[in-house]
Amino acid sequence: MPLELSKVAAQLEGMAVRLKAGIEQRRQHLEQAFGIINIKAIDPEGLKRKIARSKTTWLVADIVEEPNRHYQPPPPPEDFTIIATDGSHIDVNRHQSTRYYLINIGSVMLSYGSNPDAKIESHPRLYFEEEDLVLSPPEGGGREQPIEGALLGIKRGIKECRHLADIAGELPAGSSALALLDGSLIIWGLSSKDYPEFVVDELLIKGFLCHLEDIKKLNKYRPLALASYISFPRSTDVVNTLRVAICPYDSPDCDRYCSNLPPGKRECDAVAGVRDRDLFFNILNDGERSSLFINQSSIVRNYYSDQRIYFFYIRVGDEIARIEIPQWVAMDEKLLGLAHSLILDQCQRGHGYPVALSEAHEQAVLTAADRNNFQQLVELLLAEEHIPVTSSVKSLSKRTRWV
Amino acid sequence: MSTEAPQRAGEIIATSTTDFTAQCYELYQLPPLGSPVKNGDAELEIYAIVYNATTSSIEPGRHPIARGKDETSEEAIYHSNPQLEKLLRSEFSALVVGHKAGDKVHHYLPPKPARIHSFVHLCSPQEIRDFSQSLGFLDIIINSQLPIPRDELIAACLRQISRAYEDADSFLVLVGKRLAALLSDNFSQLSAILERIKQ
Repeated sequence: MPLELSKVAAQLEGMAVRLKAGIEQRRQHLEQAFGIINIKAIDPEGLKRKIARSKTTWLVADIVEEPNRHYQPPPPPEDFTIIATDGSHIDVNRHQSTRYYLINIGSVMLSYGSNPDAKIESHPRLYFEEEDLVLSPPEGGGREQPIEGALLGIKRGIKECRHLADIAGELPAGSSALALLDGSLIIWGLSSKDYPEFVVDELLIKGFLCHLEDIKKLNKYRPLALASYISFPRSTDVVNTLRVAICPYDSPDCDRYCSNLPPGKRECDAVAGVRDRDLFFNILNDGERSSLFINQSSIVRNYYSDQRIYFFYIRVGDEIARIEIPQWVAMDEKLLGLAHSLILDQCQRGHGYPVALSEAHEQAVLTAADRNNFQQLVELLLAEEHIPVTSSVKSLSKRTRWV
Repeated sequence: MSTEAPQRAGEIIATSTTDFTAQCYELYQLPPLGSPVKNGDAELEIYAIVYNATTSSIEPGRHPIARGKDETSEEAIYHSNPQLEKLLRSEFSALVVGHKAGDKVHHYLPPKPARIHSFVHLCSPQEIRDFSQSLGFLDIIINSQLPIPRDELIAACLRQISRAYEDADSFLVLVGKRLAALLSDNFSQLSAILERIKQ
């Protein structure tokens, strides 16, 4: 049954009215935020201490310097290489008796300068062994975790990083390089309390963070920066830092002082609804990056240790992107500059979005047709081997529609 | 990019009894229009004439876009965008005009078409001379349905073949006579071709 647009149209009009009413308020809040970040009297050390004392219900970015600084990119090196990976997957089909999933990783190596070259590949891998399908506590017993749904998404992200480390190992020695991932370097999915510690240990500590370490070690042979790119970010960590800055209490504590106030009535609500990208759109000129900030999420604080995640914003034309980098990139001026200038260069070559990431995505993406072809191939091969493929009645009813 | 065409011209990605399409391994390394090419093995070698070539995006949904606004040369566009060489592909199509079974050359269609993923090679001058001892293959071109004007293809093919002969003029005179007989009822086509093979 097609969507009855006539029934939605009236609701859309209501939405437009609501959005229009919010525009003026957001503009005022943005002006406030812009004013606060630019206050000359802002004392970074004092603000840093206040952030450390604060107990907020939202995520606050820690600061490294004055938060309103903006930096021009250094010139990119003459010869350099960009590597990037992206992934896509076909989840376990819970309507089918046979359990398996597929992860497709797209990888790209682009060399620029005196010897331009490109290596573009995809690496599909089917997982069907018992140890691929569940994560078990190492000491046995306890609750096994099936790798499907959100957990499979996390595993895919870790495989993307693993492939990135692998191709980083193939980089020519000497020439500067940037390794790029799409999205966040923070494995947010694992911060949920739903996962037992052995899952975090297996995927984050022995997986993702090890791969980041592998990439770091390759700096022995060449300058190699690592960064992840978030287009059109929705984060408000820096705006939340401003909330702390304007909090009238010396040690901000949302639950203690403001839990009884209705939304919109707290002092810090003067900047409510503003996103970091709106703020930095007003601060940064084209090509510039913002000050550095530190992510303070519990997962980073608890597990990332010297891979602690820093971030900055960068302006590429009319877009503000968020760039996340591990501590060893943030603290090395050369690597930080390399990340800034090469990301900008990639965006300029890619009409606003890094070429390497968009090509890695093209390699990884699995279309509806790919998924159907894969499913048919699975059924064909299993049928040839006389392995019964039983499907749920629900899935059958969706595939064969009747009146 | 080397200007010298490699011996191996490409790999077949579509095939039928009457023609095949091959993809080049390097972008733009296309055999010239009208080139005699061959495919197959000692048992059955298929001869064909290149009649069309294209360069396009590897994926049908991704179209090339203009990139050179701020570049100083066309070469610089490829230099600044090294991925292009991997995202575009050059293909050529060739019309089957004969085959060799064992030692014998036949100027009619082979019993079976070329195989997908089999290689296409440029014919050597000796192979071209052997094949063009008889001009029966011209009938196949004249009677084929092609996306380009047949006069153009016949002329291009004869120009390419004549290069394999030391005395190209004598070969072309011989060919002209044969064409006059074949196209006796179509003077305008005959003169269009003869105009195009003048040295």
